[in-house]
Amino acid sequence: MIRGVIIMNDQGKPRLIKFYEFQPPEKQQELVRSIYRVLCSRAENVSNFVKVDSLFGPDVRLVYKTFATLYFVFIFDKSENELAMIDLMQVFVETLNKCFREVCELDIVFNFYKVHTILDEIILGGQVLETSSEEVASAVDAISRSLPLPLSLCAYVCALVSSCEWVLRCNRHILVQLSLRVGKEWQFHDSIYSWLAEMIATELW
Amino acid sequence: MGSQGGFGQSKEFLDLIKSIGESRSKAEEDRIVLREVETLKVRLNDPNTPKYKLKEYIIRLLYVEMLGHDASFGYIHAVKMTHDENLLLKRTGYLAVTLFLNEDHDLIILIVNTIQKDLKSDNFLVVCAALNAVCRLINEETIPAVLPQVVDLLGHQKEAVRKKAVMALHRFSQKAPGSVSHLVSNFRKKLCDNDPGVMGAALCPLFDLINADVDKYKDLAVSFVNILKQVAERRLPKSYDYHQMPAPFIQIKLLKILSLLGTGDKKASEQMYTIVGDIMRKCDSTSNIGNAILYESICCVSSLHPNPKLLEAAADAIAKFLKSDSHNLKYLGIDALTRLIKINPEIAEQHQLAVIDCLEDPDDTLKRKTFDLLYKMTSSSNVEVIVDRMIEYMISINDSHYKTEIASRCVELAEQFAPNNQWFIQTMNKVFEHAADLVNAKVAHNLMKLIAEGFGEDDDTADSQLRSSAGFVAIRVESYLRIMGEPKLPSAFLQVICWVLGEYGIADGKYSASYIIGKLCDVAEAHPDDDTVKVVTGIMKIYSFEIASGNPVDLLPECQSLIEEMLASHSTDLQQRAYELQSIFTLDARAVKKIMPMDSTCDDIEIDKNLSFLDGYVQQAIENGAQPYIPESERLGISSISDFRSHDVHEPSTHALRFEAYELPKPSLPHNIPPVLASSTELVPVEPSYVIDIPHPTSAPSASDTGSSELKLRLDGVQKKWGRPTYSSPAPSSSSTDLVKVQNEAPRPDSASSSKPKTRDSSYDSRKQQTEIPPEKQRLAASLFGGSSKSEGRQPPSQKNSKTQNHTSDKSRSSKASAPDTAVKPSQPPPDLLDLGEPSIASSVPSVDPFKQFEGLFDFTQETTPASTGGVDGASKDSDFTSLFADMSLSAQSNIDPNPESNGLGGSKVEPTSPQLNKGPNLKEALEKDALVRQVGVTPSGQNPNLFKDLLG
Repeated sequence: MIRGVIIMNDQGKPRLIKFYEFQPPEKQQELVRSIYRVLCSRAENVSNFVKVDSLFGPDVRLVYKTFATLYFVFIFDKSENELAMIDLMQVFVETLNKCFREVCELDIVFNFYKVHTILDEIILGGQVLETSSEEVASAVDAISRSLPLPLSLCAYVCALVSSCEWVLRCNRHILVQLSLRVGKEWQFHDSIYSWLAEMIATELW
Repeated sequence: MGSQGGFGQSKEFLDLIKSIGESRSKAEEDRIVLREVETLKVRLNDPNTPKYKLKEYIIRLLYVEMLGHDASFGYIHAVKMTHDENLLLKRTGYLAVTLFLNEDHDLIILIVNTIQKDLKSDNFLVVCAALNAVCRLINEETIPAVLPQVVDLLGHQKEAVRKKAVMALHRFSQKAPGSVSHLVSNFRKKLCDNDPGVMGAALCPLFDLINADVDKYKDLAVSFVNILKQVAERRLPKSYDYHQMPAPFIQIKLLKILSLLGTGDKKASEQMYTIVGDIMRKCDSTSNIGNAILYESICCVSSLHPNPKLLEAAADAIAKFLKSDSHNLKYLGIDALTRLIKINPEIAEQHQLAVIDCLEDPDDTLKRKTFDLLYKMTSSSNVEVIVDRMIEYMISINDSHYKTEIASRCVELAEQFAPNNQWFIQTMNKVFEHAADLVNAKVAHNLMKLIAEGFGEDDDTADSQLRSSAGFVAIRVESYLRIMGEPKLPSAFLQVICWVLGEYGIADGKYSASYIIGKLCDVAEAHPDDDTVKVVTGIMKIYSFEIASGNPVDLLPECQSLIEEMLASHSTDLQQRAYELQSIFTLDARAVKKIMPMDSTCDDIEIDKNLSFLDGYVQQAIENGAQPYIPESERLGISSISDFRSHDVHEPSTHALRFEAYELPKPSLPHNIPPVLASSTELVPVEPSYVIDIPHPTSAPSASDTGSSELKLRLDGVQKKWGRPTYSSPAPSSSSTDLVKVQNEAPRPDSASSSKPKTRDSSYDSRKQQTEIPPEKQRLAASLFGGSSKSEGRQPPSQKNSKTQNHTSDKSRSSKASAPDTAVKPSQPPPDLLDLGEPSIASSVPSVDPFKQFEGLFDFTQETTPASTGGVDGASKDSDFTSLFADMSLSAQSNIDPNPESNGLGGSKVEPTSPQLNKGPNLKEALEKDALVRQVGVTPSGQNPNLFKDLLG
């Protein structure tokens, strides 16, 4: 079982903390600090594994890897394979890269909410849920697509919908879907619903 | 900042992060964060804050808490946000609560309802969000509330949902194995899910379950081997490839499972040799993930029944690991070596040099791993080198945790393999010198015991033994006398020294008593009070031995001053000992010999717990009119104490939240219970001897005053903290036994004195007769607490039923929180509970039996493989795999079966390994289906027969 995932920068500032067994905030800080102390003391070109049974109990290990200015840390017990954890980390980072295009520390700080979402698709309840970064990226994509569109886009869609010429040229099915979503999110009922009624009334269906 | 897409956050948040990033000290950062906290407090509490703003505040709150500041004021807002309709807000809410709250937090109760609702949502993203929260927030008590929905979701059309539902169930089984034990078959079923992701997810719970109980899952070994084979042959979708390896994470999980299944099972192991060998051969040892699989294969080989060929391959792989430049691989090599030397101790010899290199390596992790290896391969021939190495390392490190571990390992190895006493003593001295405070106190005791036993054995062992043992102690005494010169000794070490000197200091006559006592007094001066105790005990022993042996004793002046100092000490312990020491001088040799026998550490002291030697005295006292002693347990709080204890033992679930109000005691209740049963006649004979003359400040509770006592502070049944323990009588509480007792007494509210014995009777009875609670009580308890485990054990045939009934009653409790008396209803549970229970049974028992599916799966494959050797499948492998899965489930569900004898064959193959296979209804169901299929005239024809061609070839 994976006990926790921590991302912190090379100054020990946490960027993401996720424990799969609840740890009170003070304890989290303490753990992050002591992990940072351990990681700092390690030379370069040594193994990526650290035994942390003094912090987490027997047989708990930690894998860390540095990506640019960030430490990625996975904490897990003996039911996981150390090397595979490094690769899981790689999957995680690859996915981040896909979602943010050239991920950097600032992306993670500013969108740690989204990073949580990505991580939730990879690890759930301490178990590895999904290991294909494409699957993860598409799942995250599905979530962000369901989120409300920016206002300007809505206005744009409305304009499109009301422009008859365009409607005639376009695949109607997609258009209906699009307008329904826009209408639902932003309550532009008037223009869109009247247009839909028109569509239904005519033989377009 | 082109990366905000979809999750847009405000400039304020950016500014916050920037200013924190630019802050130069921790104090400055704290100031910024505290200001932010204040802002958030105001804004979150402002009712006019728009929702989308609220979302951002919650995210900022998360950030604040991540930096280590208290954000508890905002938890309730996060909870509120989970109720929101908008998915984005809902997700944010869920994320926040999963990060903020622990599963026992009070606010969870407010979320459970939302989760229930969301699990039923049409939008699969909402369901996913809820499942995420379920995995984190649901605890043992709330599992029943969401379990039915989660089980339903196992069949959801979206694979993402199925996957998460599997994980949620897994989480439940981790939290409360009992709550989902009847659903375990679902995991097996999910193994043949169409989606490889779901299959991979199902491996996690199966791994845990197999780890807990291998024998139940032996029958799955074949299917795991098959799945692994398919994975290794790249039948999974390309998206699961990682660095050109096919689904490596799934392979690793499968190898882990196989190693569990194959441990100590020759037959199962033999099935696995081929595939494990194949995987080891195919592994790409240039990539990280390839090595991960290779390492896992070695682990698997080391736990399977030994196979020379595989072991050889594993040894080669280890050699490659150890020779590698990468520290990671060296680490794994050492680890793998540790596993393999259990089977083949010689293997380590080939790698001696590599191991030594690792030991010298600057990498601490690697070094420690190597010490683990050394610890495992220690024998009497190499113990000296290894322990010396360990001690050397122990001295060099600061990490007290690891120091402790190494120290205890040194002690263990030294005790086990010590070549001679001289070495042993030196080693122990070194360990104590450097890590005495870290060594378990037990180690010191063990050491003392060891010495004592070694010495005590003298009488009945050979002469040489005697000499060596006596010499052993003499050496110790000598070495300790030398060490005592050190200015400061660790407390545990001092204890050992004082003890040895006290016991054996003068035993061989080499040193005089006064010399040793003088030394001890010096030590006492140099060390603080706590340690003086040990020294004084040593001194006392030596003096008493001297007195006992009849030698003239003269109190040394420094000892005299020590005693005087101690008599004035603040520590009562020290004072006590000083007085004891003083009084020993006044005793004669015979008495001292009796209280301080020479070398009797190992003698067993017999303790007469019943104090039978006092019987005569007690008898006499009673005859003289003294009151008899009544054990504390019978004196007060009788029933309530025993009740609580019994509940603790029998039904841990009573800690659960109670959703209904506390019921009022019902005087009418007794009518349901025959009074004969409740009045325990069988125990009456015990009572009369001491019952009658006990003063009772409170009268026995009658049915009428129970109602009023509800309003008062309940002091009865609670032991008084100060003063003499009082005999307050137990008042009725809501627990079952008490209710029965009330019933017991209600019909005859006599005088206090006459009803009193009865009270004690029944409660005493209830305590003593825990094993045999009357059925009425059980039923009452069941309806009060959702059924004790006892009642389940009582009625094995309806176990499943009663379990679901529990769930439903829990559920009904949560839904009918306002109806207090649903639970009080005695005897027969109300019919509506049972009615509620029915559907959940129906939903939990799958309509298609998973085993049947497996059966179908395997005889299908086995049957078709030999037949389809001809054709080559040109179709793309990805689609093959999924269609294969589809076929499996399809074939299992409709049970399309070309020739009945193959079915029989497959059945007989699987059956012996899985005892649960032939469950009553399934065979019939299958037959019916089979018949139906024939009627419809579906022929097996070509459901992709060539697909299985190379499955077993």
